Amino acid sequence: MKKLSLLLTIGLLVALFAIPAMAQDDMGLPDWMEHTECTEDLSGMEFTLWHIGDLSGPYAPITQPLVAAFEDAAQWYNEHGGICGATLSFPDPTTIDTGGDQEQTSVIYSRVSSEQPLAIVLYSSDDAELLRDQVAEDQIPVLISAGSIEGLYGGEEDNFDNPGWSFATNPLYVDQLGFFCEWAAENIEDPVIGYISWPSAFGRAAFTPEVIAYCAEQGVEFVETPEYFAPGSDISGQVQNLVDAGANILYTNSLATGPAEIAATVANLGLSDEVTLAGVNWVLDTSVGFLGQTALGADGLPAVNGLLGSMPFAWWTETDLPGVQLLTEQADRNERGPLTRNIAYILGWQTVDLYYEVIVQTGNRVGFENMTGADVKETLENLQFSPLGMVELDFTDGNRDAKMNRIAVLRYLGENGGPAELPDNPPVVVEGPNGPVLVPIVVPLTDYGETPDLRPGQMEMEE
Amino acid sequence: MADHIRPAGIFDTTYEQDIALNRTRTDKFLQYGGLVALLLIPLLTSRSFLGLNILPDYVVVTINTIAIFVIAAQGLNILIGYTGQISLGHAAFMAVGAYSGALLAKGFAIPIGESMLQIGPFSFWIALPLAALFTGLVGLLFGLPSLRVKGFYLAMATLAAQFIIPWIIEHPLQPYTNAPEILQGIPQPTIGPLVFARPIEMYYIIVPLSVLLMLASRNIMRTRVGRAFISIRDNDLAAELLGINVFWYKLQSFFLSSLYAGIAGALIAFERNAITTETFSLETSIALLAMLVIGGAGYPKAALFGVAFVRLLTDVIIPAIGPAFNSTLTALLPFVDGTNIGPSLQPIIFGVALVIFLIFEPRGLAYRWEVLRIAWKIRPFAN
Amino acid sequence: MTQSNRSLQRAGTWLFYAIVALLLFLWLQPLAAQKSGNTIIQRTIGGVMLGSIYAIMALGIVVINKASGVFNFAHGAMMMIAGYMFFSFFNTQAISLVAAGLLAFSTVVLGFTMGGWRELFIPQRLITALIIGIILTLMMTSGGTEQRWLHALTGAVTGAVLIGLLVERLTIRPLIGQPIFAAVMVTLALNEVIRGITTLIWGSQPKSLLIFAEPHPFLPDQFVRIQTPITIEPTGLLGFLEGPVNIDQPRFMAFLLALATFALFWFFFRFTNIGLAMRATSENQQLAQSVGLRVRVILAITWAIATVMAGVAGLFYAGSSAASSIDTNFHFVILRAFPAVLLGGLESIGGALVGGLIIGLSEEWAKLLFTGDVAENLAPYIVLMIVLILRPEGLFGEKRIERI
Repeated sequence: MKKLSLLLTIGLLVALFAIPAMAQDDMGLPDWMEHTECTEDLSGMEFTLWHIGDLSGPYAPITQPLVAAFEDAAQWYNEHGGICGATLSFPDPTTIDTGGDQEQTSVIYSRVSSEQPLAIVLYSSDDAELLRDQVAEDQIPVLISAGSIEGLYGGEEDNFDNPGWSFATNPLYVDQLGFFCEWAAENIEDPVIGYISWPSAFGRAAFTPEVIAYCAEQGVEFVETPEYFAPGSDISGQVQNLVDAGANILYTNSLATGPAEIAATVANLGLSDEVTLAGVNWVLDTSVGFLGQTALGADGLPAVNGLLGSMPFAWWTETDLPGVQLLTEQADRNERGPLTRNIAYILGWQTVDLYYEVIVQTGNRVGFENMTGADVKETLENLQFSPLGMVELDFTDGNRDAKMNRIAVLRYLGENGGPAELPDNPPVVVEGPNGPVLVPIVVPLTDYGETPDLRPGQMEMEE
Repeated sequence: MADHIRPAGIFDTTYEQDIALNRTRTDKFLQYGGLVALLLIPLLTSRSFLGLNILPDYVVVTINTIAIFVIAAQGLNILIGYTGQISLGHAAFMAVGAYSGALLAKGFAIPIGESMLQIGPFSFWIALPLAALFTGLVGLLFGLPSLRVKGFYLAMATLAAQFIIPWIIEHPLQPYTNAPEILQGIPQPTIGPLVFARPIEMYYIIVPLSVLLMLASRNIMRTRVGRAFISIRDNDLAAELLGINVFWYKLQSFFLSSLYAGIAGALIAFERNAITTETFSLETSIALLAMLVIGGAGYPKAALFGVAFVRLLTDVIIPAIGPAFNSTLTALLPFVDGTNIGPSLQPIIFGVALVIFLIFEPRGLAYRWEVLRIAWKIRPFAN
Repeated sequence: MTQSNRSLQRAGTWLFYAIVALLLFLWLQPLAAQKSGNTIIQRTIGGVMLGSIYAIMALGIVVINKASGVFNFAHGAMMMIAGYMFFSFFNTQAISLVAAGLLAFSTVVLGFTMGGWRELFIPQRLITALIIGIILTLMMTSGGTEQRWLHALTGAVTGAVLIGLLVERLTIRPLIGQPIFAAVMVTLALNEVIRGITTLIWGSQPKSLLIFAEPHPFLPDQFVRIQTPITIEPTGLLGFLEGPVNIDQPRFMAFLLALATFALFWFFFRFTNIGLAMRATSENQQLAQSVGLRVRVILAITWAIATVMAGVAGLFYAGSSAASSIDTNFHFVILRAFPAVLLGGLESIGGALVGGLIIGLSEEWAKLLFTGDVAENLAPYIVLMIVLILRPEGLFGEKRIERI
């Protein structure tokens, strides 16, 4: 007996020491990630995921968290074995900031393309459109979060036979608006949409004849002339014009300050009861929720409360998803503040996960040593993958964007849980970096559904 | 001017010698040698057929951009440096050149009544001069206020061009220009079977054209027109009393200046195959002015020095020193957030450099270069 | 030219103006007819209120131009950095004594050495400087958040004065006597530098400037923008209105404050000694020097005052806008005030007011008739081009007579 217990004790001790040691060896990714296995060990190699974009201009509230996500993701993936043992790295953000100036985009791109990267990340549709021909020339695939028709598929003359080198993880802006029209037709009485946006390519991307025709079919009208505004300018005139023309929904393709400003103006003009606010997937970002806290709507809550938008991916509140759990855990670990925990942080991680999968698949197919951008593009074109299990991507059949979408609404967290509602469920107040803040949350209103395809020439026009 | 300073012992015996641009054999050797060296640069990058990989690829793009901006800045030099007028809307004229060049090359149809008038598509070699000419005419239009106003008022009138022209491109002309979204699919220049598609090929159009236009402007300044410009700059009232038709020459200056801007704009369009109005913003206009100040407005080489200096500063030096600044500044100034350093370095360094030039070297790099050149030529004598 | 000939020509000019005005009216009338009378009234009120803020911006530029002959293209950046300083002092719970002291004393030192460094060594002056520095520091730091208005106003004004003095000392003074082109370029360069410094210190995230605010219903120590509009009911004398007219309350407050500011500065130039000296200097610098005015000091004071005016205008504009916030693109607002300056005439203080109002009105009316981006970027410059062609020196500017 003694011998046996001794053996058992020794065995236990060995096991106790060995388990962590074995775990140390097997540092691979958690099981829920459905990544392809590597066929080679690439220890000592390095993959740099280049990204170019506006870190200091109007996109800053969105893009700064994106950079944070890249940092955190690189750290986590490298701790978990890297890409088949190779290190994943990112460029110094100060060297790739365009400040929203397209002249800089070209300059930085020429520098980045000299490094002959396997793929680059762009943030804005404007940049994607500008570089569309050049990336095709240089054979560099582009990963982008959301795109315009021109950026992803090219102009009308291209006929979509040869979609470009950019791959988006969100649906096209036109498809998002079409999807919203489907929802509005059922849920809003006599919907008339007034389109109000930034005057950039991104801002104008969703207002096309195809969208107007499709929405008319669903029973949703548009105010004929859209209104555009420069960030930071007074927009009461624009809002008034649209409402005078009969709009009861204001739809915007802007982000951060844009939707917050529209909501504040609607509230200032006393139109909160008459107008529903809606927009592209970016309007559901937490930055809008924070920036919009200084203007109250008719219901006594911030004016951005109730802002509708597309949400083609999982959100922080959907904690039953392992991907969301991982992101929350990593954001906690790196002490990311509430401003950083937004859409861009999620998209950043998704992009890194997508890159991981694509590189592994490409390397397995053609060998890691002489992989080129063209090989990576080929992988992307045949890819069906769900980065972090948070969004379904299918780039087969010449697709360049995601097809699944749902409608969600921006709310504030209430004290009794769930969205705040006055007077029964007042909003929760937490301490932010610059004083107390309310906590924005996003509540899905629908299940995932397929977006309409509103690229020019793809829809059957009713004669 | 330094052209007339030459090593001791060399005398002009013929009129041809007196007006020659390159008077000495060393001059000639340096000029032509420099040109040949310039034309060889693209062959040293990995994209050339030689397959050498001595220089990084982006060098070609950088030189292309510099050469294009040299043309634009030289246009501005004619207007500001030689004629003493001012323009805050030069980038808008570049936009005119870019869009008219692109549209002429793509071809477009204007509805006249029921029928459509098809214009183009023209080849690059026709589209470029037409675009330049058209830009010149637009420049003439915005030069008209110079009849009555000068100084800040003229600056403001040209600033108006910077707002009005992009608006016209983005609104009434939107069906043609697709602005502010990107206009794509601009046909590439060809000569017979040769297609100038990539930057490395466009290099052989842009760089020689840039050199040619620099020489042309230099020669214009040595003619009656150029001397009239200079007299207007020095004192327009006196010039008028001398019998110079001040308004007429001011218009010529606006025309020439916009012509150059138009060529530069069109080259941008053909080099990138894609343009937006954002490329030709007020910032670009101001950057061109700054290049001229740093280069030394009124000197023939001002454009070259200014553009090269500013482009090197913003595209090469600042990105290179950025990370170093990042660590030192955050250590020195605890309230500074590291993420803010990148975007703030460019405007600060650029602005400070400009102020330093204005105060300590108001005649710019070109002047310093001339001084050095003269000192070298007349050595061992003191300057 | 005979008298009759001249009056004939004048009549012709006026006839031309009248035809242009008629054509403009005929073109715009059908567009305006689609809008309700109330909307037009509301936009007009909005235009006047906006115009008053443009007038303050224009005033700052005019003051500098009058004194030193420089058109200040950096005015927008000055508006921006003063607004950010106000934000910092307004929203920081405990202001660091070191930072406040540094700001106060550097301003005081620069202020007391306007005429040269030697002045600092006069004992009385040194003591006065010390006392003022200490008072300013205390004003910026004393008390808690209930004193935030005092902190912010002292801090922002001190900061603005510092920037004005620095700009004058470092860039304008060395360039006296240089051509006009150098003066244009140096302010353009300053615009870049100040913009960069603002980004460096405050980052590119928008900062909330809630000066016309009431306490937030949920967030202690936080504020929301006043949103109850001032409503004018269609009763009594106003019976002709088709319905109630709503006026944005913060905008209205900014309007009143802007008018008060304008009156204050006008009074200052008209009746105070320093104001008179400034006007004398602007007339003729050499003459002013010869009658014993210290031109350098006066120039420095002018820049300091103009920068404070820039800050005031920036605060009013940002504080009364819909988002009540300021970001690093804020300096572009000034591009709409430039035409106001030239409209009124570069030398005319009253002209700044008229120019500002015209630009404000044309912008709001253009918003009514066309889409927003036309109004913001184009309308001011179209009006400017028309005025420049008809009256090149602006509405109230001085016709310059040049001699060789």
